[in-house]
Amino acid sequence: MLNQAIAKLQAWFPAEAVHAHCDGPCGVYDPSSARVAAEAVLSMTKKLVDLETPASGDKAAAVAYHNTFARYTAIKEEQAQIAKDELLVLWTDYFKPVHLEQFPDLHDTFWKAAKLCSACKVEVSVQHATELMEAVQKIHGIFWTTKNRDVSWYTAS
Amino acid sequence: MTSPSLQPPPQLRHSQLTDVVLWLLRQRRRFRIVGASMLPLLEPGTEVLIDPFAYRRQRPQPGDLVVAYHPRQPGLRLIKWVVYVDEDGCFLQGLNAAESTDSREFGRVPWVNIVGRVGCRFP
Repeated sequence: MLNQAIAKLQAWFPAEAVHAHCDGPCGVYDPSSARVAAEAVLSMTKKLVDLETPASGDKAAAVAYHNTFARYTAIKEEQAQIAKDELLVLWTDYFKPVHLEQFPDLHDTFWKAAKLCSACKVEVSVQHATELMEAVQKIHGIFWTTKNRDVSWYTAS
Repeated sequence: MTSPSLQPPPQLRHSQLTDVVLWLLRQRRRFRIVGASMLPLLEPGTEVLIDPFAYRRQRPQPGDLVVAYHPRQPGLRLIKWVVYVDEDGCFLQGLNAAESTDSREFGRVPWVNIVGRVGCRFP
């Protein structure tokens, strides 16, 4: 009886909102966006290393070579910056002091991952691009552990 | 400074007839929770009754659930639990620490921002 009356009052007079607040768009963080960008960096780096130089004197082949080289480099540069941006958003917006207690090397992990993004831009290094993927995989593990979810690592390529 | 409460409140009782009467007499205010920072205790959509007069004669105690205005976003009301209090105000935190923006980021909440103490669910 009382509960029925309360239910009607609730319907007639909606309560004011009070926020169990989070500044970020809660729950929409995901390290997979960094992973996709890091994969693209690794892929472009491998393609650059494997690109065959054209025979000397073949102008058309030289033009095609330089065009392809430039495109691969531009994509590598762009995707490394995207990976860096995505990692920095996770680091500064998602992770909180409580996570640092759980993972004391959190700051070092992100700092090194961001440095690897820079290295991948400056160099054409399969080693550093591979290390970037490993760093993103480590962050994937940390991230989903803090969410108490078992999300297995996978790659698109 | 009061000694901090290391444990957040484990439960919140349902309202009794007295609470409903006090609400009808405008001695309690009713709020609906939006957001996930008070999980697992308070799910989004849960309604609570607060006592706006609870802290007229005494300060909030560590472990209290309170409603307070955000110190940096005027008009935004928050529901959090009190970890400790000192001369400058209350250190508030969400129960779901991973998905809560609270005093860990915006610092202690001044006394004038505290709206009242959460007394029970509604109903």
